[in-house]
Amino acid sequence: MTSLRYSLAALALIGATHSAVAADNLDIIVPFAAGGATDIVARSFEPIFSQQLGVTSVVRNVAGASATVGTAEVANSEGNPNIIGYEPAGALSIQPSLKKLPYGPDSFTYICRTVSNPMFLMVSKSSDIESFKQLVEESQEYPFLYGSSGPGTLPHLAMAALTVNSDLKAEHVPYSGSGPAMNALAGNEIQIMADTETILENYDLRPLAVFAENRVEGYPDVPTMQELGLAEMDFAVWQGVVAPKGISEERTQQYAEACKATVESDKFKSFADKAKADIAYLGPDEFKAFVQKRFAANKQVLKDAGLTP
Amino acid sequence: MDVILAAINDAFTWQALLAIVIGTWAGIIIGGLPGLGSVVGLTIFLPFTFGMDVITSMALLIGVYCGSVYGGSITAILINTPGTPQSAATTFDGYPMTQQGRVDEALGWATFASFFGGVLSCVLLIFCAPQLAKFAVNFGSIEVFALVCLAMLCIVGISRGSLLKGLVCGMMGFFFSTVGSDPITGADRFTFGTYALSSGLDLIPVVVGAFALSEVFVRFSARDEEATTIPEARLRFPNLREIGRRLIELVRGSFIGSFVGALPGTGAAAAAFISYAAAQKLSPRRANLGKGEPDGIIASESSNNAVTGSAFIPTLALGIPGDVVTAMMMGAMVIHGITPGVRLMVDQAQTVYALFVVLIIVNVAMLVLSKPSIGLFRYLFKLPLGFVMGGIVMFSFIGAVSVRGNPLDLVVAALTGILAYVLRRGGYPLAPLVIGMVLGPELESSLRRGLLISRGDFFSFFTHSGIATTLFALIGLFLVWTTVAGVLDWRAKIAARREPVSPSSSRA
Repeated sequence: MTSLRYSLAALALIGATHSAVAADNLDIIVPFAAGGATDIVARSFEPIFSQQLGVTSVVRNVAGASATVGTAEVANSEGNPNIIGYEPAGALSIQPSLKKLPYGPDSFTYICRTVSNPMFLMVSKSSDIESFKQLVEESQEYPFLYGSSGPGTLPHLAMAALTVNSDLKAEHVPYSGSGPAMNALAGNEIQIMADTETILENYDLRPLAVFAENRVEGYPDVPTMQELGLAEMDFAVWQGVVAPKGISEERTQQYAEACKATVESDKFKSFADKAKADIAYLGPDEFKAFVQKRFAANKQVLKDAGLTP
Repeated sequence: MDVILAAINDAFTWQALLAIVIGTWAGIIIGGLPGLGSVVGLTIFLPFTFGMDVITSMALLIGVYCGSVYGGSITAILINTPGTPQSAATTFDGYPMTQQGRVDEALGWATFASFFGGVLSCVLLIFCAPQLAKFAVNFGSIEVFALVCLAMLCIVGISRGSLLKGLVCGMMGFFFSTVGSDPITGADRFTFGTYALSSGLDLIPVVVGAFALSEVFVRFSARDEEATTIPEARLRFPNLREIGRRLIELVRGSFIGSFVGALPGTGAAAAAFISYAAAQKLSPRRANLGKGEPDGIIASESSNNAVTGSAFIPTLALGIPGDVVTAMMMGAMVIHGITPGVRLMVDQAQTVYALFVVLIIVNVAMLVLSKPSIGLFRYLFKLPLGFVMGGIVMFSFIGAVSVRGNPLDLVVAALTGILAYVLRRGGYPLAPLVIGMVLGPELESSLRRGLLISRGDFFSFFTHSGIATTLFALIGLFLVWTTVAGVLDWRAKIAARREPVSPSSSRA
């Protein structure tokens, strides 16, 4: 009985020390469950980043509602210099236009963009469609179905923008993630999908076009949307670091420098190479401008496609 | 052949074996604690793997995964509280056996069935992964809808006593699963303007509330009675003759689990319910199911552990993770430079074979470690009941909140616990609530996707493909069978009631 009491006391002590130390700990919020694609990058980013900053950091997964729950937690910690979020594109640049959230694009101090991968328009290799022109022609008779990793995600938005800006006739079928969507593509339940190079390579798909300004290295034969005579469409899957509003200029600078040093470190580079994430660093001001531009562009797409009033 | 030998070499390093022992044992304990399940276990161990080599880190994670799926059955049998949602179906027969004083037998069957299911699915994974993966691809939204409908029918089987009460609970679970973002349009549903609710209700807090907390309440309200003491946990493995008698149950459960595991997006909890429903129709001892029949434990445990092996089929063959757990494993592989995808089997044959070897060792380790683990639970449950129940409440809340770090989940667990207690007092079965919660999201999204694909024509579902037609025919057969059996039952009851009267009436 006494031993039990001692262990309870020890437990209480551990709890107390934890909360005492917690003040100097840096919380890195990842708005997805542990083990997801974003989480993996964040967890590789975290040790190098905290070393640069000279603090102890903890990755905290706060998942749910298309990554907005974790993002909201960062936004709500106004003035707290010990919390940052490792954020995906959707939570920052799409979700605020889709639903009522406790944050908007102006609720953060932007630190840096870490990686960015352009999206490709792709079809299954078993289909006989070789070009975008052929895709458009065949869709006239019977509209195609395109998949996405969920409503309001980047794959959805990119395709919605494409159907609005071209003669392609296609309808949306959302899945609960890229995996199930790929299963559906393999079973010919859907015919088209827009996603990144990782998906393209892993599942042996055929790229028809790329949603980027310029052609992408490694895919010299894949045309951009502009080359196909369409309006400029720029869709990429990116990630970045944000802090709450109201932190000091000095702290922002510290974060930004640590972030820059992290993405330029060999360790992170070799990881990014393995995970096929293209490092695309942007500093605080550029990142802020970038998010605001993407936010406005995505808002327009949602409106044009009839997804928001 | 050289590749296989090299792979065996990779798997039998002391680091890998140590990782397997630690992982499996920790997995069994974590799985056994209510609230803490596979996902929490893997989250705890994932950061440790960053410094290890590929095989060692996979050995650790696979150990935790398989161990936790098995471990859930220990508390399901001992205290009617499944340690993980995957083991919810084990309580149907496991706990009645405990009440009859057959704890050792129940735990023995659960352990052996888990081992059997795990190994059989490994064998299937090794020899038929590409074929099974190709077949699984044919399961589009409409086929999955038919399969989930079939699984939903097991609500009928497990709501003994009152079908109406079972359906009420099933619908309640289904309703809970609709809270949050709409899977097709993304709009918020039933959130009443509260932002915290827009992420929906997670399965773990609901299961923790429905089983663990309600069990604590029930025991607390009856704390002076004899029945609330937890029997001493012992383990007795079935002998060969007993295994032979129930071999067909083991094989059926394992095959159902292997197959369901190979379909992306279903998972071990659904597999266990489907397998239990099959046992209710096909087991020669089906009349005893739900009253403490080992066949029920076998159906549940062999199938949920068979998922552990076959969940790797879509992951390895197509790079498509079958569930959250394999998605985490895929993440761990990516960190070590292995990119799962269509060419993985070709490019990384040695690593893949080493994984197979690891999976088999893990299942053997699980069998060996079952005894010391159950010993540990025996020790834990010898503590005064107040401490045990306090511990259960604590771990339930830790488990509920650690899944996604949302404080709302604590409230959900507590409210579900109170609701479940009221329901249990009213004689409502709780399992249908969990089934509704597990299968509801898949039922809804597969139906709505199916309607998008068939452009709104529901009747074309029945003729969409051979698989869909077969599954819908099975559903029809099940309904007819249940109705006919029900009518016959009813007539027999009426006849039985008349019998004492009839001799006198014939004399008159």
